[in-house]
Amino acid sequence: MSGLRAEARIALAIARKDALSELRGRHATVSTLFFAALVLLLFGFALGPDSRRLTEAAPGLLWLAIVFAGLLAVGRLHLVETEDGALEQLALYPVERRAIYAGKALAGAGAMLVLGGVLLPAVAILYGIDLSAAALPLLATLLLGTIGFAAVGTFYAGLTVRMRAREVMLPLLMLPVVAPLLLAAVQATSAALAGDPFGELASWLQLLVVFDVVMVIAGAATYRFLLEE
Amino acid sequence: MSDTRCVTQPHLTRPADGRIVAGTHPFGPRASSMPQTTIYVSPRSMGAFDTPPPAVVTAELARLFAGYPALAGVSLRVETGRAIALLGPNGAGKTTLLRILATAIAPSFGRAEVDGLDVSRNPHLVRRRIAYLSHATGLYDDLTAFENLAFAATMLGVEPREREERLAVVLAEVGLEAVAAQRVRTFSAGMRRRLALGRLILAGPSLILLDEPYASLDVEGMAVVDRLLVAWRGVGATVLVASHAVERLLSVVDGKVRLEAGIVSDIEGIGVSQVPVSVGVGEPVTAGAR
Repeated sequence: MSGLRAEARIALAIARKDALSELRGRHATVSTLFFAALVLLLFGFALGPDSRRLTEAAPGLLWLAIVFAGLLAVGRLHLVETEDGALEQLALYPVERRAIYAGKALAGAGAMLVLGGVLLPAVAILYGIDLSAAALPLLATLLLGTIGFAAVGTFYAGLTVRMRAREVMLPLLMLPVVAPLLLAAVQATSAALAGDPFGELASWLQLLVVFDVVMVIAGAATYRFLLEE
Repeated sequence: MSDTRCVTQPHLTRPADGRIVAGTHPFGPRASSMPQTTIYVSPRSMGAFDTPPPAVVTAELARLFAGYPALAGVSLRVETGRAIALLGPNGAGKTTLLRILATAIAPSFGRAEVDGLDVSRNPHLVRRRIAYLSHATGLYDDLTAFENLAFAATMLGVEPREREERLAVVLAEVGLEAVAAQRVRTFSAGMRRRLALGRLILAGPSLILLDEPYASLDVEGMAVVDRLLVAWRGVGATVLVASHAVERLLSVVDGKVRLEAGIVSDIEGIGVSQVPVSVGVGEPVTAGAR
């Protein structure tokens, strides 16, 4: 078996294992989705009933909800490894560390895509936005945004999983790093919803691609240091 | 697993696949009444070398936790194919020694080698040779017993075409085939321990590190551990086992090492010796002869 094929198999096994654990977790998945929907609702209350204002703010609110709920999702994917010494066992398997990173990032991106898939229609309903005209660019933005977020989140969740104050440390360390992603994703979403009048959508999507590539490479290269005790 | 093969030994039977069925074994006192045990082997655990390097060599091995020494200079040599008991009171350094050899933690000072490989410099290669049972089971609560083993099989490089059959054999070996589809969350501590033992026999390790393997186990579970110890010895694998079940262990091991306050206080038996401080790793002065 070629090395790359073996690593892909390991990454898929980890992603599958995390997905199964997540789906079978009694309340974690549902509570994350509820949390994200609640964030959207509260932002709506905070901005008031002005529909024009809500429509303008919708891209930012959508991505803030994705980021906040995403923090919970990527953190929990590492938290499952703290059960009964699972993280140590994972580190002792004779596999490439980048394959473990890839598996965790894949599971994270999957969880966030589901999250985005639920939140997009929720935003449309709550803030009265028509998504049908911009479905493809919105999906591309969502895909690129979640990949980048999962790439960064997997690294920082691995870094903080052994910390006592991990719930605080994860957002504290991660949010500054995902700020460019948040900016690009919000701008791309705004451009897509407005029909891209200034032709800037492609530039924002390119920025997201660059962010994703850099973060995936950096995460895969450095993740091995996080598993050593 | 592609590197798995069988080597015929007088006390072993060979069922033409990657298994070894160990029945009666000349070293085992309970061997005559012992049922057959199936484990998987690889060239590494079958004495692939003409003159194998010692399975374990440590030189002045020390580990500090927050400035306090859990291990304070242990120099040992364990010969390949031997089963050695690590004895000593709580806090003696048994677990720390096993965790360093398993590459779970790095030593603060000194060196450790497994099959001639430095554990700090070649952890990836060392991990291919070892199987480690720690206090924690390392299992996932929301996966079933079968799924937990299947995940471990993938991580250990077991070929997909061999997986189903191998998992069935391993589950039967540890007596969990009836609850294979049950989530581990519903398991007792003893059942979890058995499943963790099953993970050890999925691949073919050359060095097996067991930390309190009898903990939480019932009589039947303890017998599983005994059978595995005999089977591993039968295929030439090396076993280091830390346990407080001294009486039970002494009947199945070749030698024993007593640790106290992080240092070796006593060594008895064959296959294990102390390496003098002046001699580096890989240069033994005394060696237990088989």
